[in-house]
Amino acid sequence: MIASLRAESLKTRKRWANWILFGILLLTLLLIGYVLVYFVLSNPPRNFQSRVPARILKREVFPENLIPNVLAFTSSIGAAIMIILGGLSTASEYGWLTVQTILIQKPSRSAVLLGKLAMLAIITLLIAVVTLAATALTSYLLVTIDGSSSTWPSATVLLKGFGALWLEFAVWTAFGMFLGVAFRSTAAAIGGGLTYLFVGEALLGQVFRNTDVVKEVLRFLPGINAGAVHASFRLTFRSPDTATQLVDATRGTITLLAYLVAFTVLALLIFRRRDVGGS
Amino acid sequence: MGLKQSLAVETRGLTKRYSTGVLAVADLNLQVRTGEVYGFLGPNGAGKTTTLRMLSGLLRPTSGTATVAGGVPGSPGSLARMGAMVETPAFYPYLSGRDNLRVVARYAGVPRSRVEPVLQQVDLTDRARHKFRTYSTGMKQRLGVAAALLKEPELLILDEPTSGLDPQGTVEMRELIKQLRHGGRTVLLSSHLLNEVELTCDRVGVIAKGKLVAEGTVDELRARSGGRALLVRATPVDQAQRVLESLLLPGQVQVRDGVFSLAVDPSQAASINRRLVADGVDVSELQVSEQSLEDVFLQLTEQAPTPTLPHKGEGG
Repeated sequence: MIASLRAESLKTRKRWANWILFGILLLTLLLIGYVLVYFVLSNPPRNFQSRVPARILKREVFPENLIPNVLAFTSSIGAAIMIILGGLSTASEYGWLTVQTILIQKPSRSAVLLGKLAMLAIITLLIAVVTLAATALTSYLLVTIDGSSSTWPSATVLLKGFGALWLEFAVWTAFGMFLGVAFRSTAAAIGGGLTYLFVGEALLGQVFRNTDVVKEVLRFLPGINAGAVHASFRLTFRSPDTATQLVDATRGTITLLAYLVAFTVLALLIFRRRDVGGS
Repeated sequence: MGLKQSLAVETRGLTKRYSTGVLAVADLNLQVRTGEVYGFLGPNGAGKTTTLRMLSGLLRPTSGTATVAGGVPGSPGSLARMGAMVETPAFYPYLSGRDNLRVVARYAGVPRSRVEPVLQQVDLTDRARHKFRTYSTGMKQRLGVAAALLKEPELLILDEPTSGLDPQGTVEMRELIKQLRHGGRTVLLSSHLLNEVELTCDRVGVIAKGKLVAEGTVDELRARSGGRALLVRATPVDQAQRVLESLLLPGQVQVRDGVFSLAVDPSQAASINRRLVADGVDVSELQVSEQSLEDVFLQLTEQAPTPTLPHKGEGG
């Protein structure tokens, strides 16, 4: 597995697509999730209407709300980027036929895929660290520009928030990676993953949420469970929103971990057993 | 551990039926001796690549067994002692040739210092810093061979190494293959090009429709399928055919474009000529023809029966 991990690190580092994806994530988060929100709420348009005044809403981008704001933003764009990252990491090997080049070297099939998984775990960890650090810095700059005062979340909240962010990144990356192995096609893996994220689960959640049967199904879906984890980190100016959550944060965390294991095991089973090449 | 009984590759009843129902390889028994260059010859679609994929561990056989470089195909023990280029050389297009070899070296657990020597060996050092996607077919093939050589393997499997190469590239690849056998290395080379195996291989196995139809040295194969032939141009053709068929066995006489090819000992040329002339046939040309490997190949592959093996559950 170490040999595979070392090979993966070289491939990952030199692949521009990975850097571009990370750049998109970071830029979108900082520019739209922080800078744009701050300037719009600092100078709200005349027709701006909200139960919460803009000067309070603006505090969303301040350090006190670092964790809920980052988690809220990354639940959509972050999940999408991670699905693409995971899908690219495995499906490209089939597209370029490099899977057969790899598999005729020394490591076993399990070692090859576990090395890839370990690399993805490291990447998602690094992305989570840099994302949190960059948003914290941006948040600090904005509160300084604003001349307001704010407090940082406690170390416990920061640690839990970081764990939640990494877990969510890891689950969606594993989902993309699994789809890449299952479909052996980059387009199908990414298309399928994004369709599920933005159409499948979202549609069920928004349109059929009040149907009892669908509600039971929703309790088991990754997006809903990720949302439950997010909800446990609430914005300082919002009251706890437990009524709309189908599951609590603990169950959400356990379900996400179960998905992480399931995607990994399924991908391993398929990768180990399936023929490479031939008709 | 030495290679078992001086065989680098041994298969017993190796069979592959794809999920589509296509029987690609049927009951293949192959023996490649250590230190030889073995040509695996067959027309396109004969089952060569499927066999090599099974030997590399990429495909699981439907039935049968194989031992490759002393181990089960695809096992780390076997893979550590073999290098392979199966079908198209496949590398990361965004990496340079050198970086691609570094990636492969890392997977194989080979020190980075092996990369430059193999680049030199395949004459790619000058282009090693360029991206793989900019490589010509010949350069891709050479990089594929370089990757296969990284482990300094005892067994080298090359699938159609001259495929897509121009004449110059083909000659260079052939020379490279000749060099690769040095040091007692075994080379298993698949090809549909007859002159390629004739020029580079010690022994040849001919596969057609998934079955091994002949195996031996090029000379042995020639001899087995009749060796030399007597060519006769004579008129009238009908009369000549009647005379020759009365004189020889039916399978010994073949006519094509007015020329008879007689599978007889050339020493019979004079008596055959006398008999034809005596029966009023004009003989305008009579010569001994060395049967080329191409003739042998065509003869063997055209005669190959379509393999029939029971489907799963049919027993046997």
